Amino acid sequence: MLDLREGFLTTRLDVVLNWARSNSLMPMPMGLACCAIEMMAFAGPKYDVARFGSEAMRFSPRQADLMIVAGWCTYKMAHAIRRVWDQMPDPKWCIAMGACASTGGMHRCYGVVQGIDNFLPVDVYIPGCPPRPEAVLHALMDIQEKIRNTYSVAQDYLHGEPRPAAPPIRPQVLSPEGDEPVARNVLHRSLKSSFNHGRAEE
Amino acid sequence: MAEQKSNERAKTPEALKFYFTAVDPPRGDEHNPHAKATTYVPEVVEALQEQFGDAIEAVELYAGEHTVRVRADRIVDVCRFLKEAQGFNYLADLGGIDRFTDEGRFEVFYNLVAIERRKRIRLKVRLEEDHPVVPSVTSVYRAANWNERECYDMFGIRFEGHPDLRRMYMPEDFEYHPLRKEFPLLGIPGSLPLPPQTPGGPLTYDPFARAHGYVPPPSYEEPPAETEET
Repeated sequence: MLDLREGFLTTRLDVVLNWARSNSLMPMPMGLACCAIEMMAFAGPKYDVARFGSEAMRFSPRQADLMIVAGWCTYKMAHAIRRVWDQMPDPKWCIAMGACASTGGMHRCYGVVQGIDNFLPVDVYIPGCPPRPEAVLHALMDIQEKIRNTYSVAQDYLHGEPRPAAPPIRPQVLSPEGDEPVARNVLHRSLKSSFNHGRAEE
Repeated sequence: MAEQKSNERAKTPEALKFYFTAVDPPRGDEHNPHAKATTYVPEVVEALQEQFGDAIEAVELYAGEHTVRVRADRIVDVCRFLKEAQGFNYLADLGGIDRFTDEGRFEVFYNLVAIERRKRIRLKVRLEEDHPVVPSVTSVYRAANWNERECYDMFGIRFEGHPDLRRMYMPEDFEYHPLRKEFPLLGIPGSLPLPPQTPGGPLTYDPFARAHGYVPPPSYEEPPAETEET
């Protein structure tokens, strides 16, 4: 069978699909505590997540592909969250918003799950108590970056098989310290080289 | 494998111990500048002592607040007397205290308010550790229903005559009472299972699965469910 990972058609199709997916993420707002207030601000007109195409909050998991777990999660609620997560169709992503969802935060006690990554595959963690809406926007942009750097067509075809990481299709503006950032010297001069450059000029 | 190890679970509840006992210094009758006349109710205390006699075990006046300790078997009669004859028609709060002493380990407190008279009084009942049973006051104050359920959930104090004595917060199959002193802060590992890591998988009994190296697989890497194969 032809190698789907390197064909011209599939890579271009990947670009189109990833462009569509990353710019039309539909969040499932799992608002559990005060972080949900900041999540509302993130969806509201001032911070305006509609600029990133994610303004359509879907309260039905069948129509959502990004779960934002905002707030502390109890052991009782964990089962409901996992059930909602299992009902979301693939592909799907997950954001742990705030210190409580990421690590349990200040709720270091018997009833609160010490980080939702104990039962959910989390893609992006947001620090803060609660995080600013800009931080949530940043997390959304990280998710978009992750989507744009994956094989979508090949992933659908080669279901379940181990795959190498996809090459970045554009410079990683948000995380320049990755494995092989493209055009690193153009966009991000590393600290060491700029330091040496400044010394040489003196 | 971390998953298999994390799913092992003790079948019987653990016997819990608590080693530290804090001892407060004896406190005097301190002056409380914020105390209001609402909590100073000597006439109600006199009426209670006249009506019930020996059933009133102790009367404390601390910081301008009256606290009446009542024998456990008379608490319903005391509450009914206060409600019908003294006008304390509002049960503001009810809850448990773990004093962690050898005698009279548990306490149940009742905060009563007389709305018309603008007075408040606090009743207390002491219970032994091996027999924490107190009559329910839901026949007098219906508001006590959920408070008594919470107290039962957190301390294991049973309320006789309660119409629906179930756990309030914790799952119904939970085997411990979390606000007792011997209960560890982070809980008993395995007593509260987390949901399965894959849709058809077993429950996760390790509360720190991620810290022990187990990473929940993304959905596109999950093994197919068993129902799909058959």
